[in-house]
Amino acid sequence: MKFVGLILKSARRSKRRTFLTVISVAMAVFLFASLRAVLDGFNAGAEGSSSTRIVTQRSTSLIFTMPTSHAEQIRNTPGVQDLTWANWFGGIYKDPRNFFAQFAIEPESYLRMYPEIILTPEEKKAFLDDRTGCIVGDGLAGTYGFKVGDKITLKVGIPIYGQQDFDFNVRGIYHTKGGAVDNQSMWFHWKYADERSVAKGQTGWYVAQISNPDHAAEVSAAIDQKFANSPYETKTETEKAFQSSFVAMFGNINLLLGSIAVAVVISTLFVAGNTMAMSVRERTTEIAVMRTLGFPSGTIFMLIAGEGLLMSILGGLVGVGLAWLVVNPGVLPTGGFIPEIGLSTSNMITGLGLSVLIGVLAGLIPATMAARLKIVDALRRVA
Amino acid sequence: MGLIASYNLRSMIVRKGTAAMTAGGIAMVVAVFVMTLAIAQGFQATLVSSGSPQNAIVLRKSSTSETTSSLMRPDVPIIEAMPQIARGADGRPLASSELVVIIALPRKSDNQPANVPARGVSPRAFEVRDNLTFVEGRRFAPGTREINVGKAAVGRFKGLALGSDVKFGSAVWHVVGVFTADDASFESEVWGDVDLMMPAFQRDGYQSMTVKLADPSMFDAFKATVSGDPRLYLEAQREQDYYAEQSRALTAVIRVFGTFVTLILAIGAVFGAMNTMYAAVAYRTREIGTLRALGFSQSRIVAAFLVESIALATLGGILGCLLALPVHGLSTGTTNFSSFSEVAFKFRITPGLLAGGLVFSAFMGAVGGLLPAIRAARIPVARALREI
Repeated sequence: MKFVGLILKSARRSKRRTFLTVISVAMAVFLFASLRAVLDGFNAGAEGSSSTRIVTQRSTSLIFTMPTSHAEQIRNTPGVQDLTWANWFGGIYKDPRNFFAQFAIEPESYLRMYPEIILTPEEKKAFLDDRTGCIVGDGLAGTYGFKVGDKITLKVGIPIYGQQDFDFNVRGIYHTKGGAVDNQSMWFHWKYADERSVAKGQTGWYVAQISNPDHAAEVSAAIDQKFANSPYETKTETEKAFQSSFVAMFGNINLLLGSIAVAVVISTLFVAGNTMAMSVRERTTEIAVMRTLGFPSGTIFMLIAGEGLLMSILGGLVGVGLAWLVVNPGVLPTGGFIPEIGLSTSNMITGLGLSVLIGVLAGLIPATMAARLKIVDALRRVA
Repeated sequence: MGLIASYNLRSMIVRKGTAAMTAGGIAMVVAVFVMTLAIAQGFQATLVSSGSPQNAIVLRKSSTSETTSSLMRPDVPIIEAMPQIARGADGRPLASSELVVIIALPRKSDNQPANVPARGVSPRAFEVRDNLTFVEGRRFAPGTREINVGKAAVGRFKGLALGSDVKFGSAVWHVVGVFTADDASFESEVWGDVDLMMPAFQRDGYQSMTVKLADPSMFDAFKATVSGDPRLYLEAQREQDYYAEQSRALTAVIRVFGTFVTLILAIGAVFGAMNTMYAAVAYRTREIGTLRALGFSQSRIVAAFLVESIALATLGGILGCLLALPVHGLSTGTTNFSSFSEVAFKFRITPGLLAGGLVFSAFMGAVGGLLPAIRAARIPVARALREI
């Protein structure tokens, strides 16, 4: 510990170099922490899903609908406590580029089954009472400036809903609790869409509340069994599997972001290791003098490695701080693909951990070099 | 310039450890740059090559994709009768009325269900889309539950091999042929007879119509004829424009993401290069002093160190390009949200992209080397010579 002062002194010796190295590490940590946060954002839906909710969709594909008459049969399946349904609306807000999710839901049961959607009692009542009402997430409201009382007009995206535009009244801005529901969506009465639909009484998926999460597989199989060999065969899975299938749609994001992260670490190792090696080379004579004075080679090793670690951790702090500032829905352009994004504590810890790793690895070779220095050779060398 | 340039290049070799590390840092940045843009490039190429300049696609007005379009049976003969459409040997129009639905098939890699486009086509489709070649088997026979499958789909999803039976949309379909399509997105699709697919998916209309024009220049006339017909609520687009638009959103996202990541990474690498060059300048102060005493001007010293830095970075750039090259042709897939279906595509590294990577690395070298080079030139001769 008594050598901390010495380490600080050597770090200050070439302020420019220290600064450049710290920033290099900071950039790497910033990228790493942000990429982790993006990845978490993608997986948030699956992570936050409830184990007591199972989702039934058409076995052919999610884009096909099934009749609402399935509802009674699913509700009668042993183990099912509650049921709601929802459908994808796919409307266009002014321009196709303004992409956000809109769901037609059976409002009362949906809000009952998704306590993650938080509304004030007044907002909830206003929404339930207005057939053309809708609720929007606070994130979405922030992006487009929606306020309670506003009118939102959506152009029809799926031809089944006719050609006339849909008008909605914003009756509430909801907050969320937990990752199963994001705050970037719009929810409205299924009835309203159904009235104008060419095919009446159709819905995209059912969500059933089950009493015992351990029986999810049995209940799912029982539901699918009821509709087997009908024109509307179903596939029932846990909410987690349902949400994960959306993440998987993007392709192998884990691999892509993973390889970038590896490149980031390697590239920073090169930069930081190089700097440390340079600073050791510059100090060859000085280190030889210290050894002559009686500093054991272990101490020299600690001094050099400590300097690397110090710079790296400093960079880590700057990087994490930067990521904390930048990784916000407002700052980072996610194009509506990642509903919710934010830097979690674990992202920060991983970032700092990375900086420690870089510091240790980058300092290793130069510190060994310094510790193994032959005093006689070093003293003889000039510069 | 000759002497001084070779002096700088040779001093790079003297400090090979440091030089290699700096170049290595830059190589990683360039590799990431080339690889991420190769994704965008490959995805775009796959969709754009789906369109032929001679083809036009007819969709419902203001539809952004086939999946959100609809076209009724009575519309078909009206369009087929239009004079701009090419005719086959039998005098019948080269037009295909189509329906695209999404079916869920398990992916080979992770067994997760993926959204695979199933395209119902008219028998004429193979003449309209003439870039299709069969690598195995034959075309489906119209009026039967036979299907053809794109080569990319066979590789990516389970149960699509030649001869297998696939169950989707309340029927069982038999795979009788596998085709390639010059890497176009059709290679990720399953094709069958539209008149059998429609009832199987409880649909009662088509979604789009693709026609081959007698000549590409007739497109404007064709478009006007379609828009001018009061019986049709439809719109014609060039097939190429349509597919380019389909790729636009995702390509843009990947480009923005790739650029963002590489720029941040580049800052780190530039600082690394700066460190190296500052050290190089400090190490060679006496030599610089000698050069100046010999009469080399300040601007030539700046130029010399800049050249050294750029050469170092470009070396890294070349290394980075070489590192990235193996991913070329690697196939992967993602969901195209315009059609809500999975498209298989290949990483595509073009000469232009490599050149971009090299220019980018040279630029990093220039930025990293400028300040140290100026510093080198500004050292007073007397002091520089006195230094040990």
